[in-house]
Amino acid sequence: MNQSVFKIRLRCSWCFVLFLVASIMYAQEDYTLSGTITDKSNGETLFGASVLLKGTTVGVITNEYGFYSLTAPQGSYTVIISYLGYSEIEQEVTLSNNQQINFEISEFSTQLQEVVVTADEPERAVLKKPEMSTVKMNIATVKQMPVVMGEVDILKSLQMLPGVTNNGEGTGGFHVRGGAQDQNLVLLDEAIIYNTSHMFGFFSVFNADAIKDVKLYKGGIPARFGGRVSSVLDVRQKDGNSKNFAATGGIGIISSRLTLEAPLFKEKGSFLIAGRRSYADVFLKAFGNDNSVSFYDLNLKTNYTINDNNRLFLSGYFGRDSFKLGETFKSSYGNSTGNLRWNHLFNDKLFSNLSLIGSKYDYDLGLTFAEFDWVSSITNYNLKYDFKYYLSDKFKLDFGLSGIYYDFDPGQIKPTSSTSAVNPLSLDRKKAFESGIYLNAEHKLSEKLSMQYGLRYSAFSRLGGQAMNDYANNQPVIYNNALDIYQRGTAVGETNFDKGETIKTFDNLEPRISLAYQLNENSAIKTGFSRVAQYIHLLSNTASATPLDVWTPSGQFIDPQLSNQYAVGYFRNFKEKMYSLEVEAYFKNTDNRIDYIDGSDLIGQNTIETEILSGESRAYGLELLLRKNEGNFTGWIAYTLSKSEQRTPGGSAGGLGINNGNWYNTSYDRTHDISVSGAYRLNDKWSFAANVVFQTGRPVTYPNSQYSYEDVSIASYAPRNSDRLPAYHRLDLSVNYKPNKKPNARLKGEWVLGIYNAYARKNAAQISFGQNIDTGVNEATRLSIFGIVPSITYNFKF
Amino acid sequence: MQNYIKYTIVLVASIFFSCEDVIDVEVQNDSERLVIEASLDWEKGTNGNNQSIELRKSTPFFDTTSNTPVTGASVKVTNDSNGDEFIFIDQNNGTYTTDAFVPIIDATYSLEIIYGAEVYTAKETLIEVPDITDLFQGTEDGFDDEILEAHVVFTDPPEEGNNYLFRYDFEDELLPELEVGDDEFINGNEIDWWIEIEEDEETDEIEAFQPGETVAIEMYAISTAYKNYIEILIEQMEGVDLFSSTPVLVKGNCVNETNPDNYAHGYFRVTQVNKTSYTFE
Repeated sequence: MNQSVFKIRLRCSWCFVLFLVASIMYAQEDYTLSGTITDKSNGETLFGASVLLKGTTVGVITNEYGFYSLTAPQGSYTVIISYLGYSEIEQEVTLSNNQQINFEISEFSTQLQEVVVTADEPERAVLKKPEMSTVKMNIATVKQMPVVMGEVDILKSLQMLPGVTNNGEGTGGFHVRGGAQDQNLVLLDEAIIYNTSHMFGFFSVFNADAIKDVKLYKGGIPARFGGRVSSVLDVRQKDGNSKNFAATGGIGIISSRLTLEAPLFKEKGSFLIAGRRSYADVFLKAFGNDNSVSFYDLNLKTNYTINDNNRLFLSGYFGRDSFKLGETFKSSYGNSTGNLRWNHLFNDKLFSNLSLIGSKYDYDLGLTFAEFDWVSSITNYNLKYDFKYYLSDKFKLDFGLSGIYYDFDPGQIKPTSSTSAVNPLSLDRKKAFESGIYLNAEHKLSEKLSMQYGLRYSAFSRLGGQAMNDYANNQPVIYNNALDIYQRGTAVGETNFDKGETIKTFDNLEPRISLAYQLNENSAIKTGFSRVAQYIHLLSNTASATPLDVWTPSGQFIDPQLSNQYAVGYFRNFKEKMYSLEVEAYFKNTDNRIDYIDGSDLIGQNTIETEILSGESRAYGLELLLRKNEGNFTGWIAYTLSKSEQRTPGGSAGGLGINNGNWYNTSYDRTHDISVSGAYRLNDKWSFAANVVFQTGRPVTYPNSQYSYEDVSIASYAPRNSDRLPAYHRLDLSVNYKPNKKPNARLKGEWVLGIYNAYARKNAAQISFGQNIDTGVNEATRLSIFGIVPSITYNFKF
Repeated sequence: MQNYIKYTIVLVASIFFSCEDVIDVEVQNDSERLVIEASLDWEKGTNGNNQSIELRKSTPFFDTTSNTPVTGASVKVTNDSNGDEFIFIDQNNGTYTTDAFVPIIDATYSLEIIYGAEVYTAKETLIEVPDITDLFQGTEDGFDDEILEAHVVFTDPPEEGNNYLFRYDFEDELLPELEVGDDEFINGNEIDWWIEIEEDEETDEIEAFQPGETVAIEMYAISTAYKNYIEILIEQMEGVDLFSSTPVLVKGNCVNETNPDNYAHGYFRVTQVNKTSYTFE
């Protein structure tokens, strides 16, 4: 890197620190009240609970570990602890010295968690904090929504909210604000999950029984996160019941699950172990079918409280899918993660968390008939240290640093027998190191105006230990002017990089800022800007990503993606907070988005650079969310009007570019996206829920002419994504029945009956064009994945 | 490999409630273009003198007539190394023929077509095809252990970069099956290339090979450029689904020198080919 640039950047960062310190200077000398807030019944820490000093504006929300800290002048106060769905508690506190108080609060009802009739606090519009473009979903809300096959799915529930969509039924991952799937950072207990789908996307890897919180950042990504430009999905596992033994489970048509939780070490610790397994393979076997499809998940978590200032957490996730077609083909893939965390309170204002995280995604493809195995993986080790300094009521500071070491193994082919015609082959392993350091302030400038500003400095090194091709004229892709097509460049030699060397280094400054201005008691306007860098890329030239797609780091030929997002929003609670309205508009553009030349071949490709060009993408939209948060009837209407496009000029390869360098729709562009979700609680026994979804069809490429060649009618295709599938819509219904039980019976059960796609709409997952094999006439064939799908699930808890 | 992935996904989908049906779809309409099917294929063991080139027009996608002959063009092929010219004679049905073509291994040929006021040109090199050393049937390989496959055995030349096109024509089937292969993972090895027909259990429209049935096999040695072209065509012929690459307009090697925007479909290929057939027992 240019050294003078580096110096200037450092100086800027330094100015920034000075500014922060200056703004801290006028903080008064006060006393601090801190501690944790937990659920009385199971000891789970509560994220997002509110702690307020009655009659003042001094208040704080608990962090991911249930910790709070607030500072106020000496005096006597009434502390109000509230968390919706829980009974509010008040306690007198005399602040004459720094105090540590832990609070325990109880749920309103002693029923199953699914019956929470009021929304969680954060599901209301948050007015006082500058945080915007975020969605926190209550697990209870997720569980009550009707879903396909009765398989509770966090990702499918998130897609009911504005700005979040998928790429069609039965496809993995999700898209946020017109961003690609690989632009989402998905974290399960801080560990990176590289593939969120089971069965190619029909289900997600998250077992809702083991999950405590789900928070999605669609924009305004806080400075403590980095590495993905579109969104952060922060999923946290439960800690495990520290009060008594509990079991939760369910039996569905696709899978069954069981979660066990219990205290350890005299309530100083606890553990959770949750398992889920599908059983389609068992049925297939029973019917004498050689084919097999299955998945399982295992979630583990344990924690130990050393003392008031130190707590340890250990968590893990293991999930796997496997497929077998008779004896000829088998494939399996899965994520494994582990995380050891240490919460430490330096003092009652300075909270810290140190995490050591490991994460791996791998797949294995065995083709028995071709006598070879194909294995590929991505592994990372991550060390991060995060701090939160609760300086004063007006000023809070987050800072920290992280380092991630990546090992990409894009593929190895191993012949499985001596007669195999396949030669062994290893694609180049790639190694990289990503680091980040950040500082972020939450600053209440006045009663009405609050601000959040921060800076992240990230760096990425592609490490040596491999040879890289050199290309004629340094062009891995060349433009064939005569034929107007892009072709693979010619390798003219190799440069070998030793293990100690770096192939290429990048660094970026990523500022984030947002502002909230509270107009009155019930409404606020907010605005934000964020810049994020992404150094690793998922290679996928198909309409929908598959588990076999490979991640690749930035390097000589691939630059990091850089994205700027601007957002404004209006937030309002009305009818005594019974309703809330959130309206946001956003614009974002991303540089260095990889695009694939026509006819690109990514499978087993060692020189990815010969298949791609670098382009840009942009997305803009308007999101509207109206929610009813309280009462027997709750739910929301979400509407998104948006556009998502990309373009790829020829650049150094020459020529106009892919699709003649014109902007074209990404396959996750949806002009209109309406989701309505409602739940009605009739009485303690019966409740009902429904979803309605309407979306503009997915952009696709249809033929625009035909010609005969080799005695076959060849379809000639129109420009990329210039057509659309028919509009997508459906209705889902579910009924929840809790049989009468004695109020103090230990076992509590419920039945969930669901119908997915109630009016049996044949939504096109794809439309394929070809010749009828009998008549030779061209025809269009629609594949619809789900017809009307009934389901039944039994859930229990004791 | 993409096919295996697709196959798995179809299996997964079929466990659920997926359904396929033929529907009416409105598509865009491109302008009419010249289609050049200039395939000079020298059958191994013959003199290769008789060759033909087909010229047609493209039509709207759902038109039932995809064969619209182009007449009145002048068609010429030149051997670039020795300057020999071969004039193809208009048969007034879209076919242009010669009986004087001289195929030479590794020679480069140029095509020139003048149609209307526009000139189209292309270049291609003739590549030698290795001999088929064995032809037999089996059931062990393939997706299904119980159905018949036809095996074609040949030895890939030692240097990397060989590409093959296989064309199979079946009894009572309208459409041929095309497959393309390269020696990327199998360079220099003895290769056992097999074909199997998966039965369609739902419709019974497609049947596996039966004893007594004959399959016609053509094995072409092709250039890398042509492989890149035909590979995409074949992939797109099978229909484009969620897990296929985004379908693209595939451009061949025939350049319109007069008006580049009015490009032609099709390809000028010069190959050597083994033609044989196999009757199942």
